[in-house]
Amino acid sequence: MEVTVTGINALAFPHIHVWDWRVALYLFLGGLSAGLAVMAAVLHLYRNGDLTYKEGSSWIAPLLVPVVLGIGMLFIFLDLENKLNVFRFYMTVQILSPMSWGSWGLLAFFPLSALFALGALPERHYGWLKLTFLKTLARNMNRQLQCLAILNLLMGVFIGIYTGVLLSSFVARPLWNSSILPILFLLSALSAGAALMIIVARSLQAKLFFTKLDVILIAAEMTVLPLFFYGQYTSSAAHRMSILPFFTFTHEYLWYGAAIILIGVVFPFALVLKMIELRPGHVSEITRGVIFRMHLSATLVLIGSAVVRFAFVYAGQLSSFS
Amino acid sequence: MALSRRQFLQISGATAAGWAMASVCPNWGLLRAAEQAGATARIVPTYCEMCFWKCGVLAKVIDGTVVKLEGNPVHPHCRGRLCGRGNGGIGLLYDPDRLKAPLIRTGERGDGKYREASWEEALAYVADKMQVIAAKYGPESLALFTHGSGTSHFYPLMRAFGTENVAMPSFAQCRGPRVAAYDLTTGIDIGSPERLDMPNSKVVVLLGSHLGENMHSSQVQDFTQAIDNGATIIVVDPRFSTAAGKADHWLPIRPGTDMALILAWIHLVLKNGWYDKDYVERYTTGFEDIRDSFDAYTPEWAAAETDLRPDVIRETGRIIARNAPAVALHPGRHVTWDGNDVQRERAIIILQALLGTWGRKGGIFLPSPAKLPPLPGGKAFPKPKRKPLNRGDFPFAGGEGVTNAVRASTLSGEPYPIKGWFVSGTNLLATLPNPEETRQAIRNLDLLVAVDVMPTDTVVHADVILPECTYLERHDAIAQLRGRELALAIRQPAVEPLYNTKPAWWIARSLANKLGLGDYFPWEHYAEKLEEDCLVWDVDFEELKQKGVIVFPGSAAPYITATNPPRFKTESGKLQLYSEELELEDFAPVPEYVQNPQPKNGEFRLIYGRSPVHTFSRTVNNPVLTELFAENEVWLNAGVAEEMGLKSGALVRLVNQDDVLSDPVRVKVTERIRTDCVYLVHGFGAKSKRLNRAFGRGVSDQDLITRYAVDPIAGTTGMRVNFVKIRKEA
Amino acid sequence: MPRYAMVIDERRCIGCMACIAACKAENEVPPGSFRTRVRETVEGKFPYLRMEIRSELCNHCDNPPCVYNCPTQASYKDEETGMVLLAKEKCVGCKACVAACPYDARYVNHEKGVVDKCTFCSHRVAKGETTACVTTCVGGSRVFGDLDDPKSLVSQLLALHPAETLLASAGTEPRVFYIRRSGKPK
Ligand SMILES: Nc1nc2c(c(=O)[nH]1)N[C@H]1C(S)=C(S)[C@@H](COP(=O)(O)OP(=O)(O)OC[C@H]3O[C@@H](n4cnc5c(=O)[nH]c(N)nc54)[C@H](O)[C@@H]3O)O[C@H]1N2
Ligand SMILES: Nc1nc2c(c(=O)[nH]1)N[C@H]1C(S)=C(S)[C@@H](COP(=O)(O)OP(=O)(O)OC[C@H]3O[C@@H](n4cnc5c(=O)[nH]c(N)nc54)[C@H](O)[C@@H]3O)O[C@H]1N2
Ligand code: SF4
Ligand code: SF4
Ligand code: SF4
Ligand code: SF4
Ligand code: SF4
Ligand SMILES: [Mo]
Repeated sequence: MEVTVTGINALAFPHIHVWDWRVALYLFLGGLSAGLAVMAAVLHLYRNGDLTYKEGSSWIAPLLVPVVLGIGMLFIFLDLENKLNVFRFYMTVQILSPMSWGSWGLLAFFPLSALFALGALPERHYGWLKLTFLKTLARNMNRQLQCLAILNLLMGVFIGIYTGVLLSSFVARPLWNSSILPILFLLSALSAGAALMIIVARSLQAKLFFTKLDVILIAAEMTVLPLFFYGQYTSSAAHRMSILPFFTFTHEYLWYGAAIILIGVVFPFALVLKMIELRPGHVSEITRGVIFRMHLSATLVLIGSAVVRFAFVYAGQLSSFS
Repeated sequence: MALSRRQFLQISGATAAGWAMASVCPNWGLLRAAEQAGATARIVPTYCEMCFWKCGVLAKVIDGTVVKLEGNPVHPHCRGRLCGRGNGGIGLLYDPDRLKAPLIRTGERGDGKYREASWEEALAYVADKMQVIAAKYGPESLALFTHGSGTSHFYPLMRAFGTENVAMPSFAQCRGPRVAAYDLTTGIDIGSPERLDMPNSKVVVLLGSHLGENMHSSQVQDFTQAIDNGATIIVVDPRFSTAAGKADHWLPIRPGTDMALILAWIHLVLKNGWYDKDYVERYTTGFEDIRDSFDAYTPEWAAAETDLRPDVIRETGRIIARNAPAVALHPGRHVTWDGNDVQRERAIIILQALLGTWGRKGGIFLPSPAKLPPLPGGKAFPKPKRKPLNRGDFPFAGGEGVTNAVRASTLSGEPYPIKGWFVSGTNLLATLPNPEETRQAIRNLDLLVAVDVMPTDTVVHADVILPECTYLERHDAIAQLRGRELALAIRQPAVEPLYNTKPAWWIARSLANKLGLGDYFPWEHYAEKLEEDCLVWDVDFEELKQKGVIVFPGSAAPYITATNPPRFKTESGKLQLYSEELELEDFAPVPEYVQNPQPKNGEFRLIYGRSPVHTFSRTVNNPVLTELFAENEVWLNAGVAEEMGLKSGALVRLVNQDDVLSDPVRVKVTERIRTDCVYLVHGFGAKSKRLNRAFGRGVSDQDLITRYAVDPIAGTTGMRVNFVKIRKEA
Repeated sequence: MPRYAMVIDERRCIGCMACIAACKAENEVPPGSFRTRVRETVEGKFPYLRMEIRSELCNHCDNPPCVYNCPTQASYKDEETGMVLLAKEKCVGCKACVAACPYDARYVNHEKGVVDKCTFCSHRVAKGETTACVTTCVGGSRVFGDLDDPKSLVSQLLALHPAETLLASAGTEPRVFYIRRSGKPK
């Protein structure tokens, strides 16, 4: 078949490229902040906050959430063609537009996570808060910490799912258009959150706790990922074709092949490392070696999670219906 | 599978985007805003010069900028529909590479070094040189090459100066064989627009004529109407053209053998008694003399020549004959193919006659019989002392002259030397076969003047370049349109000339004044002349200016009736199947088959044609049109390409039989062409560096056309007689 | 209330690109961007070939994913006419609509920071004219009109010939209909 098209938009040639690394980074950081919010909330809620005792991450993690989220939002902002119009997101609620609920969701999530961060801030650091009203607010929030944790947990799950729904809502892009994608993105957000938690946590218990959680999340992610591909493969021709870039290993699709190999190596390797840490009696005290291994595996998970976002954002734009 | 599909995908537009200019209109984007803010658009009717079909244009002007061109609904050549090029006229107007001021050469011819000059200086220079040539060699030593609307201004100038040596490529490189053949056979040309009654045809037959790619608005409209009507479309073309894509029968003929097919069809018609006996009896002469001439041309014989199946020849012949006279058998337009072209055209006309299609519904309709009162002649031109040489030695060369004959005389100095060329609206280096000959001829000149809008390859050889303003900025002669009905159309400026450019009428008149020939241009402004013409014709000039077109109602008489017989302008008053005129000049009175050489192993015949969005070489720098088609590619049969290990997009060079090597060009691997030829869109491969967008884009077919077969009857140049090999670029 | 639609008769499309050139001028479409395109497909092996040529543009879908995905209501389905249009002053340029359109009908006007696409020439239609591409269509392939008016050419064509929409399986319910073959017996 010979196809000649005259008048294809530069934007759609040789395939659409509407979103680049800025959006991928936004999805990664948004997901990470959501996952971290969930994990921070879990830390506070688990056994009534037992794990927070003398645990720096109990306030550092909540503090990181709005920071990471803010950076992520900066990148989506940078992607907007008409930045002056950003307020337009908030002139309407569009039920069918994930972008709309995303923007409203972020509008709710950002202050919520900031309040959580304030509430979790230990009194000894109140000196950082230059304004008295902030101090008062922090004190008040501290009293509502459990409640804030619950809200942040819910919001985190919502945002985590949203980053996937945003993509999966596009019928036009078969790679994205899968209901498994939001689950995959949520799992990847949570596992990334847990990984970051492992890195910021000080105590052995906390680190081990999140390592356990991460093992489950990564295992789930590693189950969902093949399921996703399987689902695509057995669906329509367009869906099947959409995963081609990951499995052709040709020059043209080099990066996608590399991404899938990376994901295929990184997650299992991280998993194995974690399993080793979790062997009963293996870790009795935190040595430099142990910390290194834990952080290495956590970093790998973060990388894997970023790779997933980047790969999907780009590969999705290679796929089309026609 | 997806991947292999992608490899065959070709995209125009996006690829061109990278180098397409940032914007075409000077105040791009502000215009719609201006309109919304209440600025009203002025509509100026005029006619198009992006090709020679002369469609009616309504130019929309806001704040002195032409923002949009639309077809004039009452204009018969477009009926409101402009083609891509017509729409792209804005791209010419606002092309930043346009000629902007008179230029005088400072370097060697062809090296492109010029200095700006005032009109006064430039015209004085030209007038002076013209007079020097006239004094030394006689005024006949000046020749005019012209194409398009400039002709009506420079032709009288040349005649007044004392030379009749005028030639237009529209004859010897284009319609010449057809003009000569109709002249010999019917005495009436089929016209431009060709008077084919396609909307009423049951069968449309195209030999080459690649309608759709060959984009003449109303003709293509008629063609698609025929398709819609369910007419049977028969397309004979070695390439799967757009028209072939619409055809019920595509006959992928071996190039250079069409004559065999036509003769075989005639054979079938005669043999089976399918001809219109009554019509032949009434309106033709020589039937008895020709009836046995086609006996040998059986479908089987033709099949061997044409590489078509005999049953296909038989079947299409039957379809054509059985649907007569509602058969539009297109005689072609660019018909200078192999040097036996007048005879091939004659064969087509004979077939048209046998089927009784001339003057019949669905065939060829009759021209409007309406007449306009003749315009007063003005001052009589001097009679040249020497016989014009612009028809060479060709007994049936037409009034538009034989460009190659003028070129040959310039080269040889025989019968007398040609020392000055005045070139207007034609890019000779892209237009005439064997450009090296043209360059050589130019070396013999004492004066080369170019009147043009763009710095094309020929223009940058000129001693003096006189920049004409574009058709959207000027007046020209009123177009007399003689289709079904008689109509008149006006060309008038939509905007004032940009830059220091002038209309052709002004250039011609100013030169005439300098030469003391002012009497031949007895008006100050050309608009005065148009107004006077209208007075003679009893046409309301104001109405014409306002509407752009005036169609004379009731001026059509398209079909033969008892009171409207065909009026053949031949000696016998009939359609002359057998040509005594040809016989007298020792040419075959009945078309005969002449075998053309075919490519040897590893060679391909070079064939060429049109892109719907380009006109020859004149649009290759147009920013609007290059966005749609940036450069030509060489079409190569997919099977051959595979054998040669060539993929679409690969760079190759073509080498012709005379070892001329082309610039690099990309391959288009396609099933759409025979294995024995390669195809190029004509017009690309500009060498003038002043054409920023076109320079070095694609290749010139003309460079490879070093051989051409001159038709001895009319002097026209068959150009599809060159063979090329493909050389891979490392 | 008119229900505007376009009928594209592929049999009559001659691939001349006049529609593209007219559209670009009419709508000041920036270089490298297009609101309409022409697709030419050739199948088969020499000499048994089939060609399909058609123009494509925004389908003004009745179930428009671009509108659904727009967070600001900048993309909307006009109640009056059924056209899918843009309130450019509301557009943030998030490009969700571009990603959402299965027909790649949209582009970004970087200069103005907005997304744009075929508007069915609503500004012309409002003045009682037809679209720029239909006006110039040399093949007479493109026809624009009101589906609710049985006398309109679009209605007549759809009554006469079998018509299809592009990517019908995407569920977008296009308002641009394609005629591939004649409904009239030959
Ligand atoms: N877009 C556009 N349209 C134009 C023009 C333009 O520049 N641009 N120019 C106008 C002018 S002035 C003219 S004269 C016409 C010319 O246009 P036509 O009269 O249609 O010219 P042809 O040479 O008949 O057509 C070229 C076709 O002939 C085929 N061909 C090549 N060799 C052979 C052969 O041996 N036998 C047969 N049967 N076919 C062959 C080629 O594959 C190609 O499809 O176009 C007019 N229309
Ligand atoms: N190899 C090959 N040769 C061919 C053909 C082919 O298909 N292949 N086709 C043949 C045919 S059919 C024809 S009709 C001829 C056409 O031959 P030409 O008429 O010479 O064709 P163009 O290449 O368009 O050159 C036209 C010139 O006129 C200039 N021009 C454009 N508008 C204006 C204007 O308003 N005023 C002035 N003063 N100049 C203007 C352009 O810039 C350009 O220099 O070529 C013939 N030669
Ligand atoms: S056919 Fe096209 S280029 Fe030629 S005169 Fe008509 S609109 Fe102009
Ligand atoms: S074609 Fe695309 S842009 Fe147009 S309405 Fe449908 S989805 Fe929206
Ligand atoms: S780019 Fe503009 S029109 Fe498109 S979805 Fe975003 S806000 Fe809506
Ligand atoms: S309707 Fe108007 S905007 Fe849409 S493709 Fe046609 S000309 Fe362009
Ligand atoms: S203008 Fe009409 S015939 Fe020409 S390409 Fe466009 S749709 Fe086809
Ligand atoms: Mo021509």
